[in-house]
Amino acid sequence: MNPEPFLQLDRVIHEKGRLAIMSLLAASAELSFTELRDALEMTDGNLTTHIRALQQEGYIAISKSFQNRRPLTTCTLTSAGRKAFAEYIDLLEKIVRQNKPK
Amino acid sequence: MKQSSNMNPKWAEENLQTIRTLMERSALYRRALAPILLLAGVVGLVTMVVGLYFHLDSTRQFCSLWLGAAIVAICGSLLLARRQALKDAEPFWSSPTRRVVQALAPPLAAGMILSLWLTTIRDDLGPSTSFLWILFYGCALHSAGFFMPRLMRRLGLLFVLSSFGFLLVYGVLWKTADPNAHYVMGIYFGAIHLAAGIYLYLTDKGKNAA
Repeated sequence: MNPEPFLQLDRVIHEKGRLAIMSLLAASAELSFTELRDALEMTDGNLTTHIRALQQEGYIAISKSFQNRRPLTTCTLTSAGRKAFAEYIDLLEKIVRQNKPK
Repeated sequence: MKQSSNMNPKWAEENLQTIRTLMERSALYRRALAPILLLAGVVGLVTMVVGLYFHLDSTRQFCSLWLGAAIVAICGSLLLARRQALKDAEPFWSSPTRRVVQALAPPLAAGMILSLWLTTIRDDLGPSTSFLWILFYGCALHSAGFFMPRLMRRLGLLFVLSSFGFLLVYGVLWKTADPNAHYVMGIYFGAIHLAAGIYLYLTDKGKNAA
């Protein structure tokens, strides 16, 4: 088995929680903090940590606003994040393809 | 995650499956579905009782009553969805909501325009109008069902298929004795919605937010 594609996997995305966040955001234009938390059944602290890591990498953008006087935090995938996610999936598909019996 | 545990090719396949599931789930509309179905069911049953009690049987009276009921149900549904969005501090016009509305709108508008046109033709077209509404509503629900839990698509399919069953029964069995269209509408838009709402409430409790 060729280990090279494994080694190329993006370490930031390649974590269960962060991968789940990226997957949800890839399918929606934007998602609020509570939508992400409820969909992934994560604690506020855990989700905040993962979001911060993805934000530092430039993969997601956070916007804070108010909706009916209540704070609303929304997350969107940046173009860099979309590109990194697409590359991550390409690599996974490559791994699956190269290990399929011929 | 350690590199060694990831070197299993089966893992890559499982990860892709997880990503697919999450992406699908992210695009689904779930907000306040059970309350919306329950509201639609109650509105349907009340409208049936009103129609039967006041003998609103001409095509014009029938269409006015049921279109009024549809407007009440739609406005009530939007308010329920908005209330849930506010409660959860989420945007009301989210992308799943937008997708569902975009899928529902064309068949619903087509059914409404056709039924309005029917009111100008003859005054005894209540059953035909109800057939059209059940059919077009079923189409709307089926297309919107691709962005909602699976039950909604099945409900749409049930409406579409049984509307033809209804037309067949109407054509063959009830040639001489007209079924009261209010009963038909009450069963479809009242009882079926209510049953689906109860089912969703019991099985999807706590997940009724997008």
